[in-house]
Amino acid sequence: MMQESTTNSPFRLAAWKWAAMIILIFVFIAGWIVPLKPGIIKVTPDRAVAGEMMVVDVIGYNSFYLTDTTKLRGWLRLSGDTVIQAHHIQAWDDRNLSASFYIPSVFPVRQEAYPLTLVLDHGAEGTSILPNAIFITPASVQDTAEMKLWFRDKIEHVHEKAGVQYPFRNILAETIRNTYFHVPMWFCMIILFGVSAWYSLQYYRNADIDFDRKSVAFIKVGLVFGLLGMVTGMLWAKNTWNAYWSWDVKQNMSAISLLIYAALMVMRSSVEDDMQKARLTAGYNMFAFVLLIPLLFIIPRMTDSLHPGNGGNPALGGEDLDNTMRMVFYPAVVGFILLGLWISQLVYRTDKLKGNL
Amino acid sequence: MNRILNLVATEARIELRERYALSGIVLYVLSSSFIVFSIWKQLPPKEWGLTFWVIFLFCSLMAVLKTFGRESEGRYFYYYTLYHPLELFAAKVIYNFLLLVFIFLVLWFVLFVMAGNPILRIGWFLTTGLMSCIGLSFLLTLITSIAIKTQQNASLTAVMALPLMIPLLINILRLTAYSSGTTPDENPWNELMLLSSIISLVIGLSLWLFPYLWRS
Repeated sequence: MMQESTTNSPFRLAAWKWAAMIILIFVFIAGWIVPLKPGIIKVTPDRAVAGEMMVVDVIGYNSFYLTDTTKLRGWLRLSGDTVIQAHHIQAWDDRNLSASFYIPSVFPVRQEAYPLTLVLDHGAEGTSILPNAIFITPASVQDTAEMKLWFRDKIEHVHEKAGVQYPFRNILAETIRNTYFHVPMWFCMIILFGVSAWYSLQYYRNADIDFDRKSVAFIKVGLVFGLLGMVTGMLWAKNTWNAYWSWDVKQNMSAISLLIYAALMVMRSSVEDDMQKARLTAGYNMFAFVLLIPLLFIIPRMTDSLHPGNGGNPALGGEDLDNTMRMVFYPAVVGFILLGLWISQLVYRTDKLKGNL
Repeated sequence: MNRILNLVATEARIELRERYALSGIVLYVLSSSFIVFSIWKQLPPKEWGLTFWVIFLFCSLMAVLKTFGRESEGRYFYYYTLYHPLELFAAKVIYNFLLLVFIFLVLWFVLFVMAGNPILRIGWFLTTGLMSCIGLSFLLTLITSIAIKTQQNASLTAVMALPLMIPLLINILRLTAYSSGTTPDENPWNELMLLSSIISLVIGLSLWLFPYLWRS
């Protein structure tokens, strides 16, 4: 991996560096440009009383309601396969339509309020769903004869939009693209810190100052990737959790792990003797990396957290990461890790040159 | 073993010869609890646990800080020829452990007098305290042995040790919440298992790394 390039020509790079560049260019282009599937942003009114006719105005996202108006269908889903179908749907333009429903005055289940999920199917444009779109309060007079208005329909006969598009998820919306940048940053940081700890182990075995230089270069770049992961995560959090910093356990733990390595850099700068510095770095680095594992991977899983993959939340998967996204996500992980290794090598070489002067 | 105990006894003798050492710790505990208490006015069970461990952490930092600071360089060289690094480490850890247990008990007493005792499950709290004393004494001794080699060891001990303490602290806080009955959690064994595994990680790593870091 540490092969030195002997020529000055920029085209004589190792193959994996070319791979890193090409992959990252692909990730940036695909990550920014590929559009989202149609979705529903807003439904008005969002509450109603049962037993009445209601007309809801729907605002779509990336939708093209006018293209084939005859193929528009809509449902309100109570739970599972219990649905009512729209009487009539009128598309005003590509982003706006109105759908009229008759809400039966009786419900198969008895609740304080009934959250209904809006499902729209639209020919070539595919399906869009808004969970808990409308809240229904029970009617004062209940007519049991209206029970038959509820259908049993799993809504499986819908259309899938063809082509490469990312899923539209409520709340996430366009920020779903951050998956390609935020998540690989942290993967890359962990890998770089791991490599650094491995070089520290090498230094522990045979006290060669070169291993110390390598391990420090990897820590420096790992810190930068950690900071980038934190910044992208905070921007994402502002858009989805409504605050840059909400003292979520995952946020705290990652901030602490950065603090640990920042402390290591501070410690290095306050030791005069080079050998001493290298030995202390190696010791503290290995100590810190082992303690990082419960910090980042065990404790957040035991606590309630907003972050995916922690207490109460599933990890990446399902509709959050469909096959289209995987085609960009996995290359992004590989690309950013290769980039991290590359930059660390450059940092190591410049440090070495500075040391030799 | 005898040699280790000898070292511990020497440590204790040096400490006790200077009256201000132990009484300084007691005063530190008293004044910091006083400050916290005069800010809070009263301490509900949940805040009691938090206050307890915050004061405990800073007291333990202050107390352990001078572990390696007391003796001169020449003394260490002398020790190095006499004792195996692990013997020295064990002595320091045992001494610090006793110091932390002392702080733990004093702090508990002080907060008990000031703000009452919300701890319902005394056995659990004592176990938590004992385990945290073990874990922190290993961790802090190792970190001070690193920090002593640097220019500004006092601030660096805090900077390096505090983030590393946090995984321990989180589990300790949960166990404290359990022992004061402020959490619906009825199965503290998971927490205890996690705490003990982190502590054994700390112990294993510090036993492995100390001889290496000490050689200079």
